[in-house]
Amino acid sequence: MQKYSALSLIKNAFSNHQNWDVAWRDPEPKKEYDVIIIGGGGHGLATAYYLAKEHNITNVAILEKGWIGGGNVGRNTTILRSNYMFDPSAHFYEFGMKLWENLSIELNYNVMYSPRGIINLAHSDAQLNAYARRGNSMRLNGIDAVLLNRDEVKKMIPFADFSENSRFPIFGGLMQPRGGTARHDAVAWGYARQADAMGVDIIQNCEVTGFDVSNGKISGVRTSRGDIKAKKVGLCVAGSTTLLADKLNMRLPIESHVLQACVSEPVKPLLDNVVTFGAGHFYCSQSDKGEMVMGGDLDGYNSYAQRGNMPMIQHVLSGGLAVFPNFSRLKMLRSWGGIMDMSMDGTPIIDKTHIEGVYLNCGWCYGGFKATPCSGYVFAHTIAKDEVHELNAPFNLERFHTGNIIDEKGVGPKPWIG
Amino acid sequence: MLEIKCPFCGKRSQNEFAYGGDATVKRPALGQEVSTKDWDDFVYFRDNPRGKHSELWHHISGCRQWFKVSRDTATHEIFKTVRLEEEL
Amino acid sequence: MSQSYRTKNINSFLNKSKIINFKFNGESYLGYEGDTLASALIANGIHLVGRSFKYHRPRGFLGVGVEEPNAMVQLHEGDRSEPNIIATEVELVEGLIANSQNCWPSVKFDIGEVNNLLNRFFPAGFYYKTFMWPKSFWMKIYEPIIRRAAGMGVASLTPDPDRYEHNYEHCDVLVVGSGPSGLASALAAANNGAKVILAEDKAHFGGSLLTDEVMINNRPGTEWAEETIKHLKSLPNVILKNRSQVFGYYDHNMTVMFERVSDHIENPSKYAPRQRLHYIRAGEVIISTGSIERPLSFGNNDRPGIFLASAANEYMKIYETLVGKNPIIFTNNDTAYLSAIEFKKNNISPLVLDIRDSSSGDLVKEAQSLGIEVRFSSGVANTKGHLKVNKATIGKLNSSKDSFIDLEEINCDCICMSGGWTPTVHLSSQSGNKLKFDKNIDAFVPDKKKQKETTVGSANGSFTLKQSLEEGFQAGFDLSNLITLKNIKTEVPVSKESKTETHEKIWCMPLPDGENPKRFIDFQNDVAVSDVELAVREGFKSIEHIKRYTTLGMAGDQGKTSNLNGLQQVSNIQKKIVPEVGHTTFRPPYTPVTIGTIVGREVGNHFQPTRKTPTHKWHEENNAVYTNAGLWLRPRYYPRGNESMFEAVNREALNVRKNVGICDVTSLGKIDIKGPDSAELLNRVYTNAWMKLPIGKARYGVMLREDGMVFDDGTTTRLSENHFHMTTTTAQAANVLAHLEYYLQVVWPELKVNVVSSTEQFSGAAVAGPKSRDLMKKLFPNIDFSTENFPFMGVKDAEIVGVKAKIYRISFSGELAYEVNVDSNYGLFMWSEIIKAGEEFGIQPYGTEALATLRIEMGHVSGPELDGRAVPYDIGLHGMVSQKKDFIGKRSLEKLAYNDPERQTLVGLVPVDKKTKIPEGSHLVEDDKVKLPNPKLGHVSSSCWSVEYNNPFSIAVLKDGKNKIGKKLFAVAPLKNISILVEVVPPHYVDPKGERVRA
Repeated sequence: MQKYSALSLIKNAFSNHQNWDVAWRDPEPKKEYDVIIIGGGGHGLATAYYLAKEHNITNVAILEKGWIGGGNVGRNTTILRSNYMFDPSAHFYEFGMKLWENLSIELNYNVMYSPRGIINLAHSDAQLNAYARRGNSMRLNGIDAVLLNRDEVKKMIPFADFSENSRFPIFGGLMQPRGGTARHDAVAWGYARQADAMGVDIIQNCEVTGFDVSNGKISGVRTSRGDIKAKKVGLCVAGSTTLLADKLNMRLPIESHVLQACVSEPVKPLLDNVVTFGAGHFYCSQSDKGEMVMGGDLDGYNSYAQRGNMPMIQHVLSGGLAVFPNFSRLKMLRSWGGIMDMSMDGTPIIDKTHIEGVYLNCGWCYGGFKATPCSGYVFAHTIAKDEVHELNAPFNLERFHTGNIIDEKGVGPKPWIG
Repeated sequence: MLEIKCPFCGKRSQNEFAYGGDATVKRPALGQEVSTKDWDDFVYFRDNPRGKHSELWHHISGCRQWFKVSRDTATHEIFKTVRLEEEL
Repeated sequence: MSQSYRTKNINSFLNKSKIINFKFNGESYLGYEGDTLASALIANGIHLVGRSFKYHRPRGFLGVGVEEPNAMVQLHEGDRSEPNIIATEVELVEGLIANSQNCWPSVKFDIGEVNNLLNRFFPAGFYYKTFMWPKSFWMKIYEPIIRRAAGMGVASLTPDPDRYEHNYEHCDVLVVGSGPSGLASALAAANNGAKVILAEDKAHFGGSLLTDEVMINNRPGTEWAEETIKHLKSLPNVILKNRSQVFGYYDHNMTVMFERVSDHIENPSKYAPRQRLHYIRAGEVIISTGSIERPLSFGNNDRPGIFLASAANEYMKIYETLVGKNPIIFTNNDTAYLSAIEFKKNNISPLVLDIRDSSSGDLVKEAQSLGIEVRFSSGVANTKGHLKVNKATIGKLNSSKDSFIDLEEINCDCICMSGGWTPTVHLSSQSGNKLKFDKNIDAFVPDKKKQKETTVGSANGSFTLKQSLEEGFQAGFDLSNLITLKNIKTEVPVSKESKTETHEKIWCMPLPDGENPKRFIDFQNDVAVSDVELAVREGFKSIEHIKRYTTLGMAGDQGKTSNLNGLQQVSNIQKKIVPEVGHTTFRPPYTPVTIGTIVGREVGNHFQPTRKTPTHKWHEENNAVYTNAGLWLRPRYYPRGNESMFEAVNREALNVRKNVGICDVTSLGKIDIKGPDSAELLNRVYTNAWMKLPIGKARYGVMLREDGMVFDDGTTTRLSENHFHMTTTTAQAANVLAHLEYYLQVVWPELKVNVVSSTEQFSGAAVAGPKSRDLMKKLFPNIDFSTENFPFMGVKDAEIVGVKAKIYRISFSGELAYEVNVDSNYGLFMWSEIIKAGEEFGIQPYGTEALATLRIEMGHVSGPELDGRAVPYDIGLHGMVSQKKDFIGKRSLEKLAYNDPERQTLVGLVPVDKKTKIPEGSHLVEDDKVKLPNPKLGHVSSSCWSVEYNNPFSIAVLKDGKNKIGKKLFAVAPLKNISILVEVVPPHYVDPKGERVRA
């Protein structure tokens, strides 16, 4: 594989970039694989990569219905963080943060990991106390966290609303300095390129239409490009999880909902951090291109449409102006929607299933992007060893029966309640 | 923005309503013995179909009645709205 | 140089009697009323407007309207400064100030242009391949440089002084676009009695009729348009909106439109908003949004002075402005000849280069008959001119048109190009319509409708006037008739058709031998043919991948002039037809929309409503400091003199413990519950027993969600056999009501109960403290307040100076206390009466902070404990859970995890030094010095300064708490570098037996 570097870029410039290799092959599906990963999104691609790299399992196919990276990995707001209160989530995402830190070099692909700090704004002492509970828990788990007072926030984002006119004045905030952003497409493509280089077949425009299961054991999948045998099959299809699980007679604690995001037109650097509003649904960061990348809450009804409606955009942007009144004269350039696999406690599921050789990776809610590396890492482990990794052990399906649920939001099994 | 026909008030815009989730979920009767599986199925597990979905909405900024809606989760098209006691 | 590029057209839309002064890059210029910033600058000979995104290449104007990718400026200065404004969309007003953006130090000399010199090192996606090592450099060095170079304009740092409004409309037929098809639609629908809204993005109605030389009903098209608009304006069932763009098509035929209300007016009324957002729910939507001309790709086709041919025509016809005086017209179709003819009418002789081998279209013939030089089988290979085009390398194409036979360099000052037309299908696509490819016009047009939308005219690929008028008229009639059923059909407008010949399917010129100039496709994002080629070479096959890798079509113009040329390029390389390549999805909005417009009036203090209690005025006068409790403003404390918060809160709390205090509890949720099954409902909703609650008595209750988590708590009173008064927390008031309605309507419709919110009906004051009984006696001399006759949890009707009141003997503070409720209208009166009467007992108001102190000392749970993640056992509510009956959520309490013997429970904490306050949000650990991660045993939920014992006290949720009483642990708050040795005590710190409330 060609190594990407400044030098290779310069060298290729002199041959008018005529000699670059393809980033990944476009192979025909083989008759049989050791492992099939369904879903060529971030998690599926990462899983295949870690199967090859960590477990030396390279006879692997990724089956993607459309084009890789076309789902939520390509339509999220690119935020990375591990600012979780509960231990299982904190340990899991923190492990992920360490993978992020080295990812560009590991993949030889610049994923533009930018630890620019994520600030959760607080608008009352009670909220600041709730954040302190989370921040202290993070610190005790060895995760970076800083509690900011109003003046410290003002120093970082002076154009936020610190005026008398603010409906919910800023009291302070919780910051994770190592939180930040990464370039979403690059993550998908970087994993794809390396996985491909190690022998993984990335098969696009290949829709899985059924499974071959006998005696409680998987033997292959049926696809729009023919039947393919496999000893193990991993599901990484986020919002479409239920559609595949139905074919396996699995009922899951998952609902699919649409989440919208939007960007402003690009402007010169203004906002250095990722900022979330604490008195409404709004979060924002500025992309390298200069766009304000903004998101908020679910449209609030079950949906498989990758489109949302205007009231939620209005609601989110009104939260935006409540924090940043100067954004009023910026313009919204584009809005879009993605399908979230909302689990009933807001925490993912990475587990074995009742069918031998079928593995489940879903329930990412709004937070799947940041989990891409660690999700791939532990899912590859789960598939390769046929046993869960200690990091995803708590993310089991059984928790909905035992009561060991991990509810960060505390609103119960109604994912549409923000 | 969805337009939902409240069976009591008529067509109104989405922002008058609150969503209430899957209408097919049936709460086990009070006092009834119920297995853990059945109970958890009621509390946590969902059909989540792509396509026709029976769901509850609450006319929260209107008559405050709950009612049933048959809606396509892929296109958002609403086929029918009925009172709770009616069949979808 | 003053407006030396004006034509002598007298039929234009300019008002020459009104001269307008404006500034661009610090220089003063003149224009006329009716100009856009673009037309005025061009009239003044100014073409260099800005710099491109990536290579910082000099850029001017390409178009004349929303399609413009290049001419972006920073408009205004100060508070109203606005980045990325397309100069073609700005109507000129007196004193307008505009500046170039994305350049330094000036637009003429921009340091960033070094990127252009090095552009061979910056192909598509170059940033993915480098800047990886060393890893710390990305964030510290590379990224800041990239971020500074990127971006376009500069965002204002101050709040927007302007105001925006929202409007909601319903109509039978919404017609989007007022060109020939739109006007015909609106006419047919309006005459048929439909309620019609006709929306036009531009300042003037008429669309292409304003620039095309056509005849309708034997009159010039402009005249027909004018008359039709006049007629429509006279009808009561038609709303005409100019400067109004429908930018989004959402579910259930909801469209969203913005209207530019004030920006074009020199002194707008102070009552007028700047822009207005219209939500329009339409029965039928007719999309007559027209089409946008396609550029051609050739070497250095991005220089200032290179225009779309239609834009050049429109500048001449509508704005009396010449885009040049030595033009080259470069085309693959007939329509560009309109511009050639218009130049000729202005005594300018253009040179026409036509890629086709011949054409006998009427316009071509007319041009030739006017003596315009037309060279067929010819094209532009390259251009020169740093800040503006001044030379073109042109030549004859070989028979397969993949190379030039001979090239020559000629002088020119503008190039007007045309690659045919792209239907504007954005709204149709947004509505869910999958598009189909029409190979006759080499573009996508709408396919089967998914909503009630119909596209007509050139937006539908119907490029002749006859088609447009007939399609529009038919749609207007048919669709309106579905609604009005009136069947009133008027005459279809009749046009005179001219003959046109088809276009040549070539949009990209071959490179001149031995040269490798950039041939741009997406001007704003600097995406060239070579970038698309590279993406395909690197295996990016899907058009979505190519778009993302090259950023084609992702700029502010969202690919209006580039998408189709990009697809065509991919199709050429992949040897696939365009429909096999597919297309990317159109996303709202059609053009960028001001965020202020989207938000409307919900800004600043009006972001959310502010709820104030009837007693608010008194709190104001008594120096209250407020806290937000949901949407309510509640007094937090009432400082006196120079008191700190700590001092004030302690004074207020101590006064309740020693004398008597009064607290405004109006914001608590109240629900009126009536019906024969009311007690049964409460018995199912609350975890404790309710059937036997006597009339005139209150009871504390806890309710759960079905997952077993505590949902809310409060006291509910039985007012009569079938009538209850429920209180909820302030935070959950609305949710509890919806919860009750859900169970009553959906789950247990057999229960005969009605519930209604009465939160706003009553104003409540809690009167608490050992002297509260004496005060109450004084206020209500006719009531017996003895414990025998008015025990704890008792309720009585009363009157306070003639006002009906209800007295509840309930207590959150743990002291002897009463809560008095009156009709909200008398809330302030009641409060004042209590204060007056209470003076002799030392009454003081207390706020939410003192209230918190009092309840924490008593071990009462509240918001921080009821965090939605606690089962009753977690927070000391074991006693509240009935074992005898079933209730909402009970079955979940059987779960293994909730019955773990080591499960957390509520405890109290006192610092061993009796001095250091334990911060809320601290965690409890065995050892504060171990290596991380340090296992947590619990967390501190609420803290206060105990006024009773004069030392800090906290309540906490602690694992196996009941067996840890008396143990010492560390409360650690690493965020504040705090570690405090604490002793675990029972949570009920003051009056553990509860004697005071029952006194």
